[in-house]
Amino acid sequence: MRMFTIVISILTLYGVLDLSVAPASWHMDLAKIGLENIAIGVHATALSNFFALLVAMSFMIISITTYHYKLSKGFYFLLYLLTASLMLIVYSADYLLFFIGWEVMSITTYLLLSYTLTYKALVKYIIFAMASAMSLLAAIVILYSGAHSFLYADAHHAYTALSSTLQTVFVVLMLFALFVKLGMIGLHYWLVDSYSQSHDFFTPFLSAVISKMAVYALIVLLVQVIDIAALPNTWIVYTLALTGLMSSIIANFKALNEDSIKRVLAYSSIAQLGYIVTVLSFADGMSGALYHSLIHTLVKLLLFINVAGIIYMTSKSKFSELGGLIYRMPQSFVMLLIGIIVLAGMPPLAGFASKYLIYNTLLEHGNLLILSAMMFSSASAFLYIYKLIYGIYLGHPTSKKLESIQEVPLMFLIPQYLLSAILVIIGTFPGLLTGYFNTILVELGIKQLPQEGISVLATQNGSYNGFIVIAAFMVVFMLVLLILLSLRSKVKEAKDRFDIAYCGEVPNEGTHLHYGYSMGKELKRVGFIATILKNSSSHFYEYLSKQLFAFATFFRKIYSGNLSVNFNIAMIFLLVLLLWGLK
Amino acid sequence: MQEGFIKEGFTQESLLDETHLKEQKQMESDLNSDTSHQSSVDYLMNWFRKRSIFVLAYGTGCGAIEMPPTFTSRYDAERLGIRGAATPRQADVIIVSGYCSYKTLRRIIRTYEQMSNPKYVLALGSCTINGGMYWDSYNTIKKLEEYLPVDMYVNGCMPRPESILEGFIALQKEIAEGKASSWQKYEENYEFYRKNQEAVLGSKVAPAYDADWYLYDGGL
Amino acid sequence: MIIFDLLGMLLTAYFVGFLYYGLYRNITARFQRRIGPTVLQSFFDSIKFFSKDESTSHGWMFYLGPVIMTTGAVMTLFFIPFFYESESFRGLSQYGNLFVVLYLIMLGPLGNAMGVGVSGSPFAAMGITRGLTRMFAMELPFYIAVIALMSINHSADIATIAANQTTINAFAYPLLFIGALFSFIAMMGNSPFDVVGAPVEVYSGPAAEFSGKFLGLLMSQSSIMSFAKLVLMVNLFLGGAGGFIELLVKTFILFLFVIAFGSIYGRFKTPQSVDFLVKVPTAIAVAGLLLATLGGQ
Repeated sequence: MRMFTIVISILTLYGVLDLSVAPASWHMDLAKIGLENIAIGVHATALSNFFALLVAMSFMIISITTYHYKLSKGFYFLLYLLTASLMLIVYSADYLLFFIGWEVMSITTYLLLSYTLTYKALVKYIIFAMASAMSLLAAIVILYSGAHSFLYADAHHAYTALSSTLQTVFVVLMLFALFVKLGMIGLHYWLVDSYSQSHDFFTPFLSAVISKMAVYALIVLLVQVIDIAALPNTWIVYTLALTGLMSSIIANFKALNEDSIKRVLAYSSIAQLGYIVTVLSFADGMSGALYHSLIHTLVKLLLFINVAGIIYMTSKSKFSELGGLIYRMPQSFVMLLIGIIVLAGMPPLAGFASKYLIYNTLLEHGNLLILSAMMFSSASAFLYIYKLIYGIYLGHPTSKKLESIQEVPLMFLIPQYLLSAILVIIGTFPGLLTGYFNTILVELGIKQLPQEGISVLATQNGSYNGFIVIAAFMVVFMLVLLILLSLRSKVKEAKDRFDIAYCGEVPNEGTHLHYGYSMGKELKRVGFIATILKNSSSHFYEYLSKQLFAFATFFRKIYSGNLSVNFNIAMIFLLVLLLWGLK
Repeated sequence: MQEGFIKEGFTQESLLDETHLKEQKQMESDLNSDTSHQSSVDYLMNWFRKRSIFVLAYGTGCGAIEMPPTFTSRYDAERLGIRGAATPRQADVIIVSGYCSYKTLRRIIRTYEQMSNPKYVLALGSCTINGGMYWDSYNTIKKLEEYLPVDMYVNGCMPRPESILEGFIALQKEIAEGKASSWQKYEENYEFYRKNQEAVLGSKVAPAYDADWYLYDGGL
Repeated sequence: MIIFDLLGMLLTAYFVGFLYYGLYRNITARFQRRIGPTVLQSFFDSIKFFSKDESTSHGWMFYLGPVIMTTGAVMTLFFIPFFYESESFRGLSQYGNLFVVLYLIMLGPLGNAMGVGVSGSPFAAMGITRGLTRMFAMELPFYIAVIALMSINHSADIATIAANQTTINAFAYPLLFIGALFSFIAMMGNSPFDVVGAPVEVYSGPAAEFSGKFLGLLMSQSSIMSFAKLVLMVNLFLGGAGGFIELLVKTFILFLFVIAFGSIYGRFKTPQSVDFLVKVPTAIAVAGLLLATLGGQ
């Protein structure tokens, strides 16, 4: 079954690449089967091809990673169905098929999650997914009422034909639906538990790909339906910008409190998606959003697969139970190091390229305070990024078992090598993707990025040369290393992990030396961080559910289960209907 | 040091008898001699080492009360290039400032072994020479030389900052002449020192981390 | 030739940086009514460390920690032009811009954090956490001020910002300068924001396990990085420099201010410094930004 999945994924990738090169489309007018005014279709636009490529690539990488897990055939079936629904979402040319794909995606994800999630987490997921789907349906139906068509081609016409109240309602419903799926702060109640409790190899799929479907829908909404380039200063722009900003700042701090590795990465996903949402509030930001989607997909796949390997070998998933694995698993360490350099957005590697585009967009549009807040949140991410690598690989091992662990199996390492190679290449030659993104931008009707060579990432305001940065880094690194090696003093290896300067004391096995999971908790003494960490959206939702129960208790007084009372109510209802009908 | 303290006609030499006078003259000539038996690279290295001394911030005994005045504004040891260091990894000199109880001795040995060569030991006070005030205590060691190699003694109880500075200047002179090589003495006579340490500390002796490395001759 | 350019920048930064640190100890000593060491003392310290007979290491990652930190410092230096209208000492600045420099400043410490973490000293890990915490707090006013400058000059290129200053930015936009100055004191690691490497309190923080040649390398990169940050501030706020003398004078004035500030004030705890930096300098910088962008339009 595993090999079959890998083969299927390669075929899918081949199909997507084929469609990118030779686009095709299919339309059908359902009037033939009696449904008037409904036309459906699928097409392969440049935007669809990009997101389909992300899906196919992630599917292939996940299928390689599932090699060492024993899964039932039902699981594989659901996985294929999920991928098919994602393809339907990106390739559909109308909102009806889009919604069908969306629903199938939600339900297959629910079934896939039900293998490992606790009951409470599962209920949280399905309530939020259904809320998102229903509000999406309502928005689509409102849009249909504008021009009696579901097609994307008619969507802008339909939107402008709506009254302004209906336009606001439509946008609010759509944004609500998409923000739930993106996990924006306030609506993220379901996300952290789902990511942390799902199968270790399924979480990268959730984080890397399924959130990008919401990004795709948001791009279609903002560019094709609403045409945000023509509405520069409306409430939509500010909502998007502030929601994205708040998500990235708050999620970056909430990640500090967590002991479980996957929860930290879940909050990190929320923060990174916050960057994308903020920059999408401007039409010019499309290039930054696309670049960041690509980089975020790649890096989250890398990080989650690395963590999956760790959990597979050690069966521990908390920082307080890990530590000191660097010399036992050096290859995994280097892969995670590359992953966190990209996540932090450091210049030699690819993370900086997408951040650079985002910052340039915000600078051009003069949103300086939002830009400073974005850079601040990017700097505050360093804390949990360091905690991630320190808690797992550096420091001291917290149990005997960790001192004799082997390296992860090859099937975990192959995807990581592939992903980090891609990230390094994109970092060295950031201009490679400019041409590709320009085709998408041309199709969307947005100004293109200037192309100045494959190693230069250029925007209207300036550029930087990725190849020079990484070449300078390599040359200086080699020179300094040579100088250090050729110096006179001999290097004495510390005898074992207890040979540290510990104020004259000799630590032993019982001394607690691994400063792993409590890293960052001391920040609770700072005012605004304490506010962020103390409050949680769970308070609000529990309050909401209590109110629902109170409301239900009130209704219990009427529908009390007592047969005579119910009969009386039914009679009164019929009487009212009769009187109204007779009128 | 204040001049004119000794009155005219009352020299130190007249206080000493023959043998002690010969010893005194020998010591003074040793202090003033410049046996340049070093290569030029060693000479240069030792010149830099004498100009920059990092002292471990570790007060081991009651003599430590005289260390803060030495390093602060009144007596200012920083003019000689001496400053404090926080960890043994960064330090060159460890000052054993007074008596060493067995409890402290274990930490001093562990700390000394974690310092990197070349390292020097400056012993303050008479307790390190012969037990000093605690000569009949059940809990302190009497001769530091049996447990750690000492480069320079500064006697007194406790030595004032001026004496400590004079000790540093004498240490600098020894470093410049290449004679302050107590770390080599420790490596070469490790069994002797280890035997004494174990006799006193028993099972609580510090782990022998650095012993194996003395036989190691390669590395990055 | 660009190699001579880069080599010249590196040697200038190395020697002038060490000289400034010697002057730092001398001037601080005079504030404390004593004499202090010679001006060349930092050179002596660094050469003594390089000439140590042995250094302790905790594996290959420990070896790479100071190397990456030095690489980060040297690269930051290379991307900052020394003079605003000259072909020489321009380094690699035409291939990068201010965003690249702002992120390269953080590259070194993060690489060092790997080496520090692998040593296994819990005090060192505590020091790293304090360093990262201080970093995101101190970058906020600095980013606000720098972004305001980028917006006013419509460019993210350092040489352009330096050359555009008819009246130097410290007088034209004083609130931005004051906000950035607080961050700059924290960036140089001076009191009251120097709790990161507190010598005895946290066992010198990130430098806890480094000995011998590693410590010598850390001292060298510290001087190069300080000089790079000084030149950056001079370019952004003090009008850039036309020649060597002007550069040395301006960097020294800034450095003197930082020393004087540091020798008066005690040390903030980490949450206290975060609290302060996010409130007072940020408010000043935001006020400066609003004045600069709204007033100028």
